[in-house]
Amino acid sequence: MADEKPAPSPIDRVWNFFISVKLAIITLIVLAVTSIFGTIIEQNQPPEKYHQIYEDWSFALMDRLNLFDMYHSWWFLLMLVLFTVNLSCCTIDRFPKMLKVVRNPRTKLDENLEKTLSLADRWKKKGTLSDWAATYAAALSSSFAKPMVTEQGNEVHLYAESGVASRFGVYVTHLSIIIIFIGAILGNVLGFKGYVNIPEGEAVAQVPVRGGSRTQDLGFTVRCNAFSLETYPSGQPKAYKSDLSVIEGGREVARKTIVVNDPLQHKGIWFYQSSYGQAGGATARVAVARKDGTPMATLALAANETVPVDGYGVIRGVNYDQNFQGNGPALQVVVEKPGKPAASFWLFQSRPDLDRQRNDSVILSFGGLTAKMFTGLQVAKDPGVNIVWLGCALMVIGIIMAFFLSHQRVWVRLAQGADGRVEVVLAGTASRNRLAFEKRFERIQTNVKAVGL
Amino acid sequence: MSNVILFNLTTVLFGVASALYLGALYAKNDRIAVFGTWTCVLAAVVSTAALGVRWYESYQMGIGRIPVTNLYESLVFFAWSVNLLYLVVERKYGSRTFGAFVMPIAFATMLFAVYNDSSIQPLVPALQSYWLHAHVITCFVGYAAFAVSAGVALMYLLKARQEEAKISEGVVGLLPECKMLDDLIYRSIIWGFPFLTAGIITGAAWANYAWGTYWSWDPKETWSLIVWLVYAAFLHARVTRGWHGRRAAILSIVGFLATIMCYLGVNLVLSGLHSYGGG
Repeated sequence: MADEKPAPSPIDRVWNFFISVKLAIITLIVLAVTSIFGTIIEQNQPPEKYHQIYEDWSFALMDRLNLFDMYHSWWFLLMLVLFTVNLSCCTIDRFPKMLKVVRNPRTKLDENLEKTLSLADRWKKKGTLSDWAATYAAALSSSFAKPMVTEQGNEVHLYAESGVASRFGVYVTHLSIIIIFIGAILGNVLGFKGYVNIPEGEAVAQVPVRGGSRTQDLGFTVRCNAFSLETYPSGQPKAYKSDLSVIEGGREVARKTIVVNDPLQHKGIWFYQSSYGQAGGATARVAVARKDGTPMATLALAANETVPVDGYGVIRGVNYDQNFQGNGPALQVVVEKPGKPAASFWLFQSRPDLDRQRNDSVILSFGGLTAKMFTGLQVAKDPGVNIVWLGCALMVIGIIMAFFLSHQRVWVRLAQGADGRVEVVLAGTASRNRLAFEKRFERIQTNVKAVGL
Repeated sequence: MSNVILFNLTTVLFGVASALYLGALYAKNDRIAVFGTWTCVLAAVVSTAALGVRWYESYQMGIGRIPVTNLYESLVFFAWSVNLLYLVVERKYGSRTFGAFVMPIAFATMLFAVYNDSSIQPLVPALQSYWLHAHVITCFVGYAAFAVSAGVALMYLLKARQEEAKISEGVVGLLPECKMLDDLIYRSIIWGFPFLTAGIITGAAWANYAWGTYWSWDPKETWSLIVWLVYAAFLHARVTRGWHGRRAAILSIVGFLATIMCYLGVNLVLSGLHSYGGG
């Protein structure tokens, strides 16, 4: 039968599947619903933890469905691919059509168009066609936008539009999503994320990459000079600070004290304050001075470590008390001098001069415990991140263009009527927010109708 | 703390306003609703002052930070946003009947806030960032817009039943016509959507600056994406497939339930990087 449409070819059918908005809506909803699983089931935990929570059969099922790392599972990624293909196809299908409409607007208000426009007004005026056309063109310019004038036979058509950019909003938004995905993929392929602990005074040139056994060469060395923890008077943490140096070829080329929310960046690699802890045991600071007060040495005593003092003997820290006999922090030391029995006594941090009473050749004073800390740093290189930000900026701009601009079009048709009067039709339409446009149209209507020759 | 007294007063005012709006509907008396409007205006002044006082008091305590950093503060800020947005809508659409459906959301939020710790605590290091301001404010304006949309969607569902039966009686008869409600559902969402988008983006930017990852599928992040996907579906359904009326209203309510889950559910039920928001 001649009037029956030919059945679409398989390629057309595939294409029609991918350009449908219905598919987009279904994909959005399915992505939303499936994403919930990963928020209920804690992701990327060690298997032992899951075994504690779930029965064997449900563990096996969830493991099979990749629910323990679902956002990186093949099926979730496949949905994201489907989403992107759908988005791209919709754009390829619709963008040229939109561009054609924008480039070649319907500048004439013919009867077919008139029928589709719900906002329309008709009236008649005495006078000549050209005079009224010029008057209404001026009125439209002042109350809406400068119109294009088309003369055709005994008719004059005026066409004015505003907010044509709103037509591009949806494409800018869709493009932004693709740009974000490109940025994310670039970051994953070309960048790395790692984590490293650096004890105070030590340096690293490589960091272990997160979630793998690989290590990443930094291309330079990072040293942690010091770590400090500040607290509020209430004891809550106020700041974690790491004094970091970047060393290249044996020279310090950069130095920065980083805190949470203020990282260090060198050659595209970022170091973020993330964690901290105590590296090894604490050492006790003991100052050694002559009787007249001239300092001889400052010792760092590790627990039970014997340290020699020239011309005196050996000293060993054996005990520490935060509040010894109510006198605050104190260190118990054992001093052995050649040929003499070992002497054991306490040094009080708050009273550095008390050791004079021992009436020995040197005075020892305890300067407190020093715990050697390590800083825990997130290390990241993400060459795609700026592309992601570009996409994000475009997304906000695109959404605002799409929803807050409206492509508004107004036509005026003037025709010489049979009775010698000029028949006027004013009509308009808007791509968005018709309610607001109705009000604007009323104002245009009032303004245009109010003008006289 | 004087800010808490002012917030308690705000709670009472929101309760009074809700009662007045509901009373006006039952009594079919718009004059009662006028008092509701003035109560809302007063509540706006008092709650704005309360936020200012709280901010000032934090400086006096030597902490000095914007009052949007824990559950109590986020709840009062949410209620504050809903109230202001409501007043804008009431003025723009010229109907006070919305109040009976929107103000109870603000009131319930404040009631919930009252049961939370209202003390001003110093900021933990993770929250000490300028991104905090942009992130929280954009998110909450978005949430408030979705709340207004859901309140109106509820009105729509009630009204649509009557309009279909071609009757107009009782409390529901006083509601604005469906066309207007339907439009308002959509308008609120197109305001909320860019704010939510900006909220997610500022959150990602902050996460990247604090942790070196802009997206880590943390439950809060994921739920914000779920909310975003639901409203994206709503907008596609509406704009390209002409979903109006009942289906759009239901989708708006679903979107707001997802929003509540994202805002409160994640902190109260699930665990993750946003856990400080739960205290």
